[in-house]
Amino acid sequence: MSALLSLENITTGYGAQNVLHGVSLEIAEGGLTAIIGPNGHGKTTLLRAISGLMPLRSGSISLGGLSIGGLRPDEVVDAGIVHVPQGDMLFPEMTVLENLQMGAYLPAAAAEAPRRLEQVFALLPKLKDRRAQIASTLSGGERRMVGIGRGLMAGGRLLMLDEPSLGLAPIVIDQIYDVVSELAAAGQSILVVEENAARVADKAALIALLDNGELVWSGAGPELMARPEILETYLGA
Amino acid sequence: MSMRRDFIVGLVLIALCATLPLFIGMRYFVTQATLFFIWGIVVLQWNLVLGVGGIFSLAQMALFAVGAYATAMFGYYFQMPMVLAMPLAALLTVVVSTLVGLACLRLKGPYVALLTLAVAQVLYLLIVNDTECFTNPPSGCMPLFGGVRGFTRFGDLGFRDLFGSKWYIADYYVGLGLLALAAAFSIAIIRGPMGLAFQALRDNPGCAMARGVSRFKYQLWVFALSAFFTGLAGSFYAVHFAAVGPTAFSFSTLLFLLSMIVVGGMGTLWGPLLGALLLMGADEAMREFGDWRDIGLGLLLAGFVILLPKGVLGSLQALVQKLRAKA
Amino acid sequence: MDVVIQILASGLTMGAMYAISTIGLALVYGSLNMLNMSHGALLALGGYVCYFAMSHLGLHPALGLAAAMLVCGVVGLGIYYVAAQPMLKSANFETQIFIATIGIGAIIENVILRLFGPQPTPQPLNLSGAVVIGTVHIPNQNLLILGVALALMAALAYLLQRTRLGRAIRATAQNREAAQLMGVRVGIVYAQVLALSGALAAISGVMVSSLSSLLPNMGGDPMLKAFIICVVAGLGNVYGAVGAAIVLGILEALAAYVLGVRYSFAILLLLVIAVLIWRPYGLFGRRQVVRL
Repeated sequence: MSALLSLENITTGYGAQNVLHGVSLEIAEGGLTAIIGPNGHGKTTLLRAISGLMPLRSGSISLGGLSIGGLRPDEVVDAGIVHVPQGDMLFPEMTVLENLQMGAYLPAAAAEAPRRLEQVFALLPKLKDRRAQIASTLSGGERRMVGIGRGLMAGGRLLMLDEPSLGLAPIVIDQIYDVVSELAAAGQSILVVEENAARVADKAALIALLDNGELVWSGAGPELMARPEILETYLGA
Repeated sequence: MSMRRDFIVGLVLIALCATLPLFIGMRYFVTQATLFFIWGIVVLQWNLVLGVGGIFSLAQMALFAVGAYATAMFGYYFQMPMVLAMPLAALLTVVVSTLVGLACLRLKGPYVALLTLAVAQVLYLLIVNDTECFTNPPSGCMPLFGGVRGFTRFGDLGFRDLFGSKWYIADYYVGLGLLALAAAFSIAIIRGPMGLAFQALRDNPGCAMARGVSRFKYQLWVFALSAFFTGLAGSFYAVHFAAVGPTAFSFSTLLFLLSMIVVGGMGTLWGPLLGALLLMGADEAMREFGDWRDIGLGLLLAGFVILLPKGVLGSLQALVQKLRAKA
Repeated sequence: MDVVIQILASGLTMGAMYAISTIGLALVYGSLNMLNMSHGALLALGGYVCYFAMSHLGLHPALGLAAAMLVCGVVGLGIYYVAAQPMLKSANFETQIFIATIGIGAIIENVILRLFGPQPTPQPLNLSGAVVIGTVHIPNQNLLILGVALALMAALAYLLQRTRLGRAIRATAQNREAAQLMGVRVGIVYAQVLALSGALAAISGVMVSSLSSLLPNMGGDPMLKAFIICVVAGLGNVYGAVGAAIVLGILEALAAYVLGVRYSFAILLLLVIAVLIWRPYGLFGRRQVVRL
């Protein structure tokens, strides 16, 4: 099976400081891949580099064999990578429905918007009830759902979720990951960034551990949970 | 640079300026140099507000005008000697700027710029639109604030009686003295505790505020204190030219002075003075193209902000630092 | 009663006129955090282009207005690409662009001065005659301004709410980075917003000059008022700005009637300062939480 997304030797950073030092990773088509690691070690930066928000200093990125390194964010979206950013990066003064429609902003996605909206509402029925509500008045969990729904509206080949559990109550986190699992089971390729290894260990086909801007370990979930020394060293668990 | 080094640089510059009229005694040169001292004071103080305090105030010319008008009115209505009227006018300017600061400085950056500009505009309109005669001297109707014509013949420093036709040389030294005081004040603010507080607020606002550095308090202090010398400069301007009118508010002057700060290097200690020197020199050189002056100023202002935002001095400093880091 | 009609008529006309110039400023601030200090000069430019097109080229008034919108829109684009875009990433963007546009405004204003001279010139796009209600005469020109302004506002509301460009503008204003991740090319949106704002300034300039006359520095006063309206509404808030513009227009007409023209602006300003002390982010502005 050929890789959907392949990163080769990616380096990027801010100012004189490099945050990522030559990260290489291959992500297969379909299912869930997770990047774990402590806070401030480059997980978010990696996603930003993939989506074109951060310029690459070296290395290359390709999606389904097509090079996408150095493209603008809008071109990356158009190529099929959807980045659901950390925190609640919704459009606060738009309604839920308008937020979802923004997800299908690009012409190719706009044509499919009515069908995808039905799918999103089927997956996240709560959003259908709330569709006329202004985004800034939603609860934290609902906002996260809108963020994921908005990402799905673009219909990308790869959905990248940056810490979807951040700042939520445990019960809400479970709901979010149920949705993520459901999507993965339906064949959607998902790359998720997560701080807590336990949340993704039983769901992800591949887990990559990012420490200090370098990929230090990768393998399957159960494999990771059987290596307490890795968890201890890198994640303090 | 240490405070001591700045003071030494300042003293050397002043000593040089003090000997200049001995070599170049031409009246035109001396009066232009006096005007340079006046603009120098204003840009030094404005730079404190703008570049050090981070307050985007456009009220500086209005404060300058307050100083000038107060001086003229003290002299015109109360026959007050100018030696007394000048410091009084400067103190009055401090009072006015404190009030403006209390009203504006709690707001966010762009709001401050707009409100201070509006305050200046209102003062201008109130003066120009006032046509009711307050007194009726032989020269005709005189509104309280002088109306469109402004004030003339409100007294001088007495140099004409003392030195006769060479009075302007005495004015030169008064201007130089005032500039020296304003520069000393500027050094004390930038290198002193207040400058440190502002640097802290710029570099790490969270930490600074958590340690009790209040941005509003320090901004109000800088805004109020810098108004003293701004008002004094306005006051001296009125005395030197023996006239004050609503042109003191002109946008063209505001543009000229703002360009000096931007070209020289906003936030640097000596940058604004360098900018004043450069722009007055350029203005002199372009005298024949009078009509193009404001277009040239606009080009300079926009060009520097876009291409060289740190100004001449700021860019030089950055370059020196880079070279040192390499060496 | 006649007095009330008179005040309402002139207040609404002024308010509508203010609203048109304010919307442009609010859009630009809302999307780029850019205070465009050359807006006043664009107003004057629009007025003069319309005058030139009608008086010297003999064009139809509608074409004159279109020419003004086109020229000012292009100048707006130019301001984006020459001044704003190169410094977008700078930490001091707000201050720098403010100063740069002061310079650009001075350039435009003085170019107009060089080309057309300092004398006041009447704006040819002007209706004569008046409608009489009771004993009150309402000039047709005022009604035209009101009508055009209302139509423009409706068109803008449609643009912002219903079109793809409008959604992109709002998304960029609300969250620049999220908009990028949806595929919005924010650079293009910024350029479009500045062009739109320039075209609106042109219309506003034609309106203002038709009530008084053309002068190279005619834009300064309306710009300051537009800024004040923006500040009262909360910078960047387009719909709040329209409401505030109309309220301020009527208040100004009222103050001019009760206290005389001389003090109306001063009183307006005192009111604004009072509002800002009470609500530092404007009447409809939301407090932005600053993350350190």
